[in-house]
Amino acid sequence: MNPVKTPLDPKAIKLLANYDVPGILYGLAVSGDGKTLFGAGQDGALHSVDLRADKPKVTKQNPFHDNYVSSFVWHDGILISGSYDRHIHWTDPKTGNCVRSIIAHDGWVRKIAMTPDAKHLVSIGDDMRVNVWDSRDGKRLASMTGHEARTPEGYLSAMYALAVSPDGRHIASGDRAGFVCVWDLSTGKTVSAFRATDFYTFDAQKRARAIGGVRGLCFSADGNRLAVSGIGAVTNVDGFVGPCRLEWWDWKAAKRLMIGQDKHLAILNHVILGTDEKSLIAVGGGDGGGAMVFWNGTDAPPQVAKPKGHLQAVLLNPDDNRLYAVGHGGFQVWGMDESPKGNPDPRRLLPF
Amino acid sequence: MRWCGSPEHRIHRRSFLGGTLAGLVSTVNLGGIGLSAAEPTIAPLRQRGKQVIFIWLAGGSSQFETWDPKPGRDTGGPFRTIGTSIPGYHVCELMPNIASRMKHIAVVRSLNTVQSEHEQAADLVSIGRPKEAALDYPEIGVVMSKELAVPDSELPDYVSFFTTSEGRRRPRVGFLGANHSPLLLEKSIRPEDLDPPPGMSEIRHHSREDLRALLSDRFARQQAGSEIVRGYNSAYQKIRGLMRSDHLFNLEKEPLTVRERYGRSPFGQQCLLARRLIEARVPVVKIARGFWDSHHDNFESHRELVPDFDHVFSVLIDDLAARGLLESTLVMVLSEFGRTPVINQDVGRDHFAAAWSVAMAGAGIRGGTIYGQTDADGRAVKDGEANASDLAATIYQAVGIDPRSEYQAGLRPVPLAKEDARVIKEILR
Repeated sequence: MNPVKTPLDPKAIKLLANYDVPGILYGLAVSGDGKTLFGAGQDGALHSVDLRADKPKVTKQNPFHDNYVSSFVWHDGILISGSYDRHIHWTDPKTGNCVRSIIAHDGWVRKIAMTPDAKHLVSIGDDMRVNVWDSRDGKRLASMTGHEARTPEGYLSAMYALAVSPDGRHIASGDRAGFVCVWDLSTGKTVSAFRATDFYTFDAQKRARAIGGVRGLCFSADGNRLAVSGIGAVTNVDGFVGPCRLEWWDWKAAKRLMIGQDKHLAILNHVILGTDEKSLIAVGGGDGGGAMVFWNGTDAPPQVAKPKGHLQAVLLNPDDNRLYAVGHGGFQVWGMDESPKGNPDPRRLLPF
Repeated sequence: MRWCGSPEHRIHRRSFLGGTLAGLVSTVNLGGIGLSAAEPTIAPLRQRGKQVIFIWLAGGSSQFETWDPKPGRDTGGPFRTIGTSIPGYHVCELMPNIASRMKHIAVVRSLNTVQSEHEQAADLVSIGRPKEAALDYPEIGVVMSKELAVPDSELPDYVSFFTTSEGRRRPRVGFLGANHSPLLLEKSIRPEDLDPPPGMSEIRHHSREDLRALLSDRFARQQAGSEIVRGYNSAYQKIRGLMRSDHLFNLEKEPLTVRERYGRSPFGQQCLLARRLIEARVPVVKIARGFWDSHHDNFESHRELVPDFDHVFSVLIDDLAARGLLESTLVMVLSEFGRTPVINQDVGRDHFAAAWSVAMAGAGIRGGTIYGQTDADGRAVKDGEANASDLAATIYQAVGIDPRSEYQAGLRPVPLAKEDARVIKEILR
């Protein structure tokens, strides 16, 4: 991946367009030619936007999952989707036909991701497993366990976050109680495990329940560090009433390196590398409204843009400095100017 | 019943007695309400042998994620449903244990209680009628503790747990007076200050009580008919009884297998203690399980809360049934309201009182009955609408208390349930 010379300026970035979809979208992908945005979520249907149309609008196809769609990967003309219906589907977006379907987890499929060589598809689900699939035929190659099914207080945990390292050798997974595991893809063994404690609030005194968890994970460009996103200490666990929070970890040493926290009250559901491959971009929402957070990974606090609505996922097109996001209310396109440039190199789209 | 009236509702003996005295005095001095305030004006209400456990899901649990799921609808959320032991009735998949025990349980799915602010809604559901400025009504549990009281019992007539602080409620005794205040357990499940003062032997403690009783009897003979002296004596009897019953609050006395069955969550521990108290003939026990106010992250929070509720509630029902107590014990699952059909931008559900559900089991209840219906999206009641007054009347009726019975509050006869309340007979035996 080549660094982009002109990084996004958080102060200059603005909402360029939004495409309304009722409810909440969780999964986001862009077609290989960069022309079409795909989103899916609450209604289980596939929504798409042709970005090159004179007047782009949302097209909705029939539901292709029986429950919420949680995550998308675009690969070679096919949309791969994970869903709370426990399935992963391979779908031809042109026809809407499902070309392959597998039961992926005994529980909600929370996230899927593709290795850079596109040979392996990885998924996490509420059976607390990390599963590795042959992306060509959908056969399961490995099923890794290591996350506890219950939180330290004895309640059901959940798997929230997944990332694949740039060299494809490692997988990171994060859960509700703040535990992070890093796995060696070739052996299926845990190579590191730590707890990012500050992302999990259990309030025993006032409300006797929890909120938070590791909601987003992202490797650094060299694969040596791991970014974690979520929410800091929550004062009222009825809601996302805590500071939006990012952390960089040296995952091999299980050592936290840096904290980026802002008083904006929100949970950061998804984090990706910025255009300079050093900074982080994260999206979310909460009591303070929607949040799009830019952090250069230093002592300087993150800068927060306030998008319309609570966002669930973000994707960066470094060629034209566009950020595509989905969440409550549909799609959003963010950038620094209003004139889209030529076709981006699809290989440089960071997959979600 | 005469019980703690101290502001802190703690069982420190000195404050206990002071509170009792204050309670008695207040009974005779409440504006316009005479000594007979707590007395029925028609046939005696008192029921023998019936007991009640209230489970208060504080903050407002979601009917969609429990008793009235709407899978596949825009409002339904991501949880699927599972069949129950009642043909055609499905509950949220988070309640597999309850699903298999529906023969014991009745559900009202058609409550429209209108009020959707926590405090006011909690008052409404707990009292069974809107509050009035002119008259302070007691909560249903307080009325029941009075009417179901075991004569000469040394145990409290009402024990209320609310160990979390958010939305904490102390049952309103209203015009029944402070001597009907429940024993409140807010810091732990064991009453505080039950131990004799440090250094005081049990023998000396008893000697003191004997001396107090002697002096008290002498004083009572001189002041025949004194309500206050009777109140003091009753209060001492209760506190002595509570001290002798300290073992009831010690879960270590339960076999390990039973403790493990209830689980280690605070809710599990409290339900186990509730069963112990019911077994010891405490008439009314209330457990508050907080906090269900899921404005954000509704599905994740219900994924945490509902399985715990499903497990513990099922164990409690089984345990009561196995001990032959379920027939005589009404178990009520209540909340101040339900949650909105609309899923908000933070994946939450907000307050909603227009169409929500409660459940009940045990004494007087026709298990396996599903009453009322909401529309396809759960936005409104479609059939069998009931309000808070109807619910209160039904609760009274379930344990054999006639909801039309009246207390006399000063010159005003006050029916237990609101005049226009309708008992939901369909769920009663």
